[in-house]
Amino acid sequence: MEIAIKNKTVKISPPATVQTGKVLLKRFFSSILTLFLLVSLLFILIRLSPGDPTQKFVSAQLSPELSQKIAEKFLLNEPLLEQYYAFLSNVIKGDLGISYNYKLPVLRVVWDYFSFTLVFALLSICLQLIFSFLLAIFVSQRKNKVLSWGISNLALFVYSIPAFVLGVLLIYLFSVTIDVFPISGLNSLNYDSLSFGGKILDQLWHLILPLITLSAAGTAMFYKYIKEGIDNVRNQTYILNLKASGLKEKVILKKHVIPNAASPLISVAGIELGVLLGGALITEVIFSLPGMGRLTVDSILSRDYPLIIGCVLTAGVVMILTNFLADIIKIKFDKRLFKGLLN
Amino acid sequence: MKIRFKVLHWILLLAIVLLIFRHDVIFRYYALWFGFIELIFTDISAACEIFNLKLADVILSGIFIIVLPILFFLCRNRWKILKSRLNFSDALLLLLVWILLFAPIITSENPEFSKNLSVTKLLSPLSTVKFVNLASKESDPVTEKEKFVRQLNKTIKLPYNERIVFADSIMVSENIIVYQKGNIIELQMEDLQLKDSKPAIYNKFFLLGTDEYGRDNFARLIYGTRISLFVGFGAVAVSFFIGVVLGFLAGYRGGIFDTALNRFAELFLSFPVIYLIVLILALFGSSLFSVIIVLGISGWMTLFKIVRGEVVSLKQKDFFISAELLRLKKSQLLTKEILPVMLGPVVVNLVLLFSNVILAEAALSYLGLGTGNLYPSWGAMINSGQEYIYKAWWMIVFPGAALILTLFTVNSYGRRVGKVINPRLEG
Repeated sequence: MEIAIKNKTVKISPPATVQTGKVLLKRFFSSILTLFLLVSLLFILIRLSPGDPTQKFVSAQLSPELSQKIAEKFLLNEPLLEQYYAFLSNVIKGDLGISYNYKLPVLRVVWDYFSFTLVFALLSICLQLIFSFLLAIFVSQRKNKVLSWGISNLALFVYSIPAFVLGVLLIYLFSVTIDVFPISGLNSLNYDSLSFGGKILDQLWHLILPLITLSAAGTAMFYKYIKEGIDNVRNQTYILNLKASGLKEKVILKKHVIPNAASPLISVAGIELGVLLGGALITEVIFSLPGMGRLTVDSILSRDYPLIIGCVLTAGVVMILTNFLADIIKIKFDKRLFKGLLN
Repeated sequence: MKIRFKVLHWILLLAIVLLIFRHDVIFRYYALWFGFIELIFTDISAACEIFNLKLADVILSGIFIIVLPILFFLCRNRWKILKSRLNFSDALLLLLVWILLFAPIITSENPEFSKNLSVTKLLSPLSTVKFVNLASKESDPVTEKEKFVRQLNKTIKLPYNERIVFADSIMVSENIIVYQKGNIIELQMEDLQLKDSKPAIYNKFFLLGTDEYGRDNFARLIYGTRISLFVGFGAVAVSFFIGVVLGFLAGYRGGIFDTALNRFAELFLSFPVIYLIVLILALFGSSLFSVIIVLGISGWMTLFKIVRGEVVSLKQKDFFISAELLRLKKSQLLTKEILPVMLGPVVVNLVLLFSNVILAEAALSYLGLGTGNLYPSWGAMINSGQEYIYKAWWMIVFPGAALILTLFTVNSYGRRVGKVINPRLEG
């Protein structure tokens, strides 16, 4: 757009809405590149690792002729570049092969386990955000230095507890000493005989300890971010202005401080959600829940190569996707971030 | 008058505990120390043959006892440190360092020692077990080497000792009858070590109980501390080296090298690295050093980003250009001009990295992909504790508490360092 002012032409940069598409496109391509690098890295790692895939696929006592046949089918005798090309084209087509252990297409196995992880991760992130927000607002409303110091130290302490220690200690406290919650698994023994509502309640009952385990560290981390954000925003001059204008403390906190303090949280929450959706590796192993994390660990430990690729790829895709979404939401919140994202 | 705990009191307490409860061990270690020096002068080839890590460990801890106080009193602001108030995290940090340096003195047990499983397995904390010592049938040592080996085996415990027999109860008549669960052993008088012509019955004390193989939980906890901290330091050193060198080169050179490295760092940052770590360790096997290297490589990205960003801006500064014109080498530029300027953010990052590495190591050993069975590790202890959760709470509570306290110490140090560098942040 050009405007003539006193015989001079001045260029005015196009409005922000035009740039949105460009920024998103750029982000999209960089995500695709990241995925491509991830797939290549996986290929290299798996090709480098010791062990004969043909024997693993069928049986260790495979006759040499049959093994030769399977190797030909797997393109193991072709040059490496050819294999890489075939691998890439298969991944793009969505054909991730057949799991060695489950004897099922990888995508189907992954989908079965992913549905659980989806629910689990979403529940957990909701819990984390709600509790950390409530706690931060509670602490900020009372200007009690001792309380603030105590809670922030407690948050640091909770943040320092590794998931597996917390999980095992919770099992010991609540499942072994006082038999309140189930020790592991997702369903009770009489699960099939329950009504629909009973089934959901039963599963939630089993999920309480895992949810606490998964959410504790994240809650502490979010609390720290929100509290720091609130303290930061409170020191700004416009808050002083609002105070001088005679607004109530509560109104300032709710309408002005918290929305401004929350915007850096979105990218952190995006990363956290991505990690959770990739599968809570440790938590699912402790409580033996049927999620992506446990599937990944199992597949890695039993060298189920197609499934490993499927799991790690899913985690990567999910992670990149949530980061992408978080960026879009951030742009919605704060238009100033365009320039930062462009670099 | 209110008594305030100072760092001085805590250090004195730790030293006194060591000297009072472990003076016998310290004397034995010094005897071994002199024995080894004697052996070096008499028979150097035998000394080289015998020398191993365990012996080096014992000798080093003996040296530390003498050298550390001297070094500390040569330090310039010693009184300022000693008279500062003791904080919880300071106390824990000192305790960790104390354990790291003096582990073989704090517990003279071998962390892998197990014998007579039926008696010693899954003992609760503060329990004692009776044992008798069989008389040694070895002939008297002749050469210097044999003498030293005898002394060595007395001082440094081996994972297996055939002469110790644990017992639930012992009956002494003409013969000695040792009762174990499901087993009765009859021993002759002359088989045993005697004391005043009576069989000597000793008590072995397990402070924190034993695990499923009858191994001393306390010793495993102490040596596990060492492994955790060692892996932490090693991996952080690897990350530091890679991150700083690559960051410097990328920022200094620029161009395609810079772009490629940046992309690569972003790839690693935008992905849950724990998956790749587990994958690599599972595919290529895990040992102490592979864990250190893989964890080190997985942590270089943030450091790289910090260093690269700083170098790009520092490149334009006058002091850097003048140093360049003086024809300093690149390594000199890095260590003398760049690193001192950005020590703050780098140190904060290193502390955070340290806590992440300790956590990752424990999680990996929990999954069975850690430093292997050669070394006791907190994560592996918790993993085996989970199997015996109905019987043995001490197998999970103590290593869990150790892990939590260590991580808390490191994290609160990270926060304190961050506050010093960026004082505007409160909380």
